[in-house]
Amino acid sequence: MNANKLKSLYSLRNVLKASATAGLALVLSTGVASAAANCIKGDRKAPYTIGWANIYSVPTWMKQTEGTITAEVDELKKAGLVKDLMVTDAQGNAQTQIQHIQSMIDANVDAIVVIAGSSNALDRVISDACDKGIAIVNFDSLVNTDKVTAKINTDSSEWGGTAAKWLVDKLGGKGKIIIMNGPAGISVSDDRRKGAQPVLDANKGIQIITETNTEYNVAPAQEAMTSLLFANPDIDGVLSLGGALSAGSVLAFDRQGRDQVPITGENARQFLELWKEKGLKGWATMQPNWLGALSVYTAVQALEGKNVPAFVKVPLPVIDDSSIDSYLASADKFPADGYIYSEYDKALFDKLLAQ
Amino acid sequence: MSASASNWLYGAVQHRRNRGLGGLYVVVAAFLVLYAALFPGILSIGGFSKFTQNWFPLALVTMAQALLMLNGGITLAIGPLVSLGAVIAATTMGGAFGVPGGLLAVSIAGIAIGAITGVVVAHLRLPAIIVTLAGSFIIGGAALILLPRPGGFVPDWLSNALAGHTPIAFVVLVVIVGHWKLFLATPLGLGIYAAGDNPLGAFRSGVPIERVKIVSFALSGLLAALAGLFVAAQTGSGDPVIGTPFTLNSIAAAVLGGVGFIGGKGTMRGAICGSLLLSVMINVMFFLGFPPVAQYVAQGLIIVGAVAVPELLAQWRAGR
Repeated sequence: MNANKLKSLYSLRNVLKASATAGLALVLSTGVASAAANCIKGDRKAPYTIGWANIYSVPTWMKQTEGTITAEVDELKKAGLVKDLMVTDAQGNAQTQIQHIQSMIDANVDAIVVIAGSSNALDRVISDACDKGIAIVNFDSLVNTDKVTAKINTDSSEWGGTAAKWLVDKLGGKGKIIIMNGPAGISVSDDRRKGAQPVLDANKGIQIITETNTEYNVAPAQEAMTSLLFANPDIDGVLSLGGALSAGSVLAFDRQGRDQVPITGENARQFLELWKEKGLKGWATMQPNWLGALSVYTAVQALEGKNVPAFVKVPLPVIDDSSIDSYLASADKFPADGYIYSEYDKALFDKLLAQ
Repeated sequence: MSASASNWLYGAVQHRRNRGLGGLYVVVAAFLVLYAALFPGILSIGGFSKFTQNWFPLALVTMAQALLMLNGGITLAIGPLVSLGAVIAATTMGGAFGVPGGLLAVSIAGIAIGAITGVVVAHLRLPAIIVTLAGSFIIGGAALILLPRPGGFVPDWLSNALAGHTPIAFVVLVVIVGHWKLFLATPLGLGIYAAGDNPLGAFRSGVPIERVKIVSFALSGLLAALAGLFVAAQTGSGDPVIGTPFTLNSIAAAVLGGVGFIGGKGTMRGAICGSLLLSVMINVMFFLGFPPVAQYVAQGLIIVGAVAVPELLAQWRAGR
């Protein structure tokens, strides 16, 4: 009671005295905050309520990711750390996602886990949440603001760069290629593409015939590639910057009776199976679905007063002819149009958070 | 005597126009009460401000859509125009002319694009749905060229003023609706309804059909672009694809609000109520704790219900 009164008096004085006091208060508050993770004030006690603000729940990658989140929440419930999980789906509408996150703030959840529908549309509502002491963990598609507890992702730029390098090497630095991108204006898609650019610039023998922008789904990618195949008799390689895109491309080549060419991609089950079946020259990496589980775990760790890094960089594995079998071995456990992700456990999470 | 007769006529007309909307008003009111019960914070200034801010851009684009539908048109370019408005705001406000320059640039772009679309539709006699579909690709492309990925700059004070902890956005909405009322009192404003309801009759009565059409497209463009400016302020930056979902939502809200596809039928207040229902529904379902899949189903049922119940009631009344 007393402390509350003191606090309100103090804030009143803050308002009255202008910039000098405000500056001091800033120094004081950062001094306190450094003990715990960003956004955490230490006034929230277990069991926690977690909000999972999804941008779009329909793609299989998202469903699988949500699966790892609910599994993790179940674990944490057993440990008495989590009470409830609130799930929203903005159906691809960043504006709706703002509204959902605002509702989560209104409902006073303890943590918000979010995949952003736009790299900066959520900045203001997220920093509002941070001010309220809500732990914000942002993964996969990231926001601009640094007023979050942690951001968790693989390096999209490295993704594109490594893929381009493999393809250039495979083609001996010479040939005509098609680049397949995710949707335009989406940071993951743009960053992967940007990462590939320096490698392409350095190899003048590589000629880019054209590029596609489609949703990360097989059908639109296949359709886009099919029409490109009609127009281009010579294609030496496909730089695909998404797993479902690669599967779509391989299917398009197959339906048109064209010889398969070297192609990059991701751990999409369909792509890996086509790779094995057709004996493709392929390369792939993985955006792990368990980033979702890791985010929930990180949020709870932060709420428990542990210090977590502001950016958790999750390494990208390489899937090639030598390692593809280890992925395909567990293929049955995943949906036919899903992603075969590597196994994860608490030890792995602790290791990633100890960076 | 004649004044009271015309008042009586006005009252009767308004009553008839409101009748079909009774069901919607009840549903919206019920949702607002339910929302306030679930989250009493909505009744505080801060809560009210945040809620109305999330509703505001949808209300504007719904007005932009209803304006054209009342005139017998439609636009599929709302979403891209919102994006373009946001992008122009975010790229110009950091420039030499600051916020006034940005506001002016957004307004001019909205009016100009709308007017050009209107000219094409009115004078070349092309269907609005095709022209605006083509326009949506051009406008969307222009937004992506101006700002290939989210970014730009909106001054903090503007963001805090429009989308902070004060209900300024709501006040702006009230002012805009007020202006719509005033506009309806002008011959041009009345012409929108007249030309939508019965173009030939309106033409014979001396309504400049083409000019009305161009003006309504220009105003609609202005409203959509301003919604984009608000979105930029609300998010603190520009995003070249953020507006996309507004196209469908604006049509849904207008139809939900009783605005017909064939022109002349419906009211602006109905359309605005429709947008309010779409917006409050999202919050209520969150607080009820519905899982996302159930939310889709519930949303669909509520929309069908809000449209069908008044129809059924009217039929039942007529059959008695």
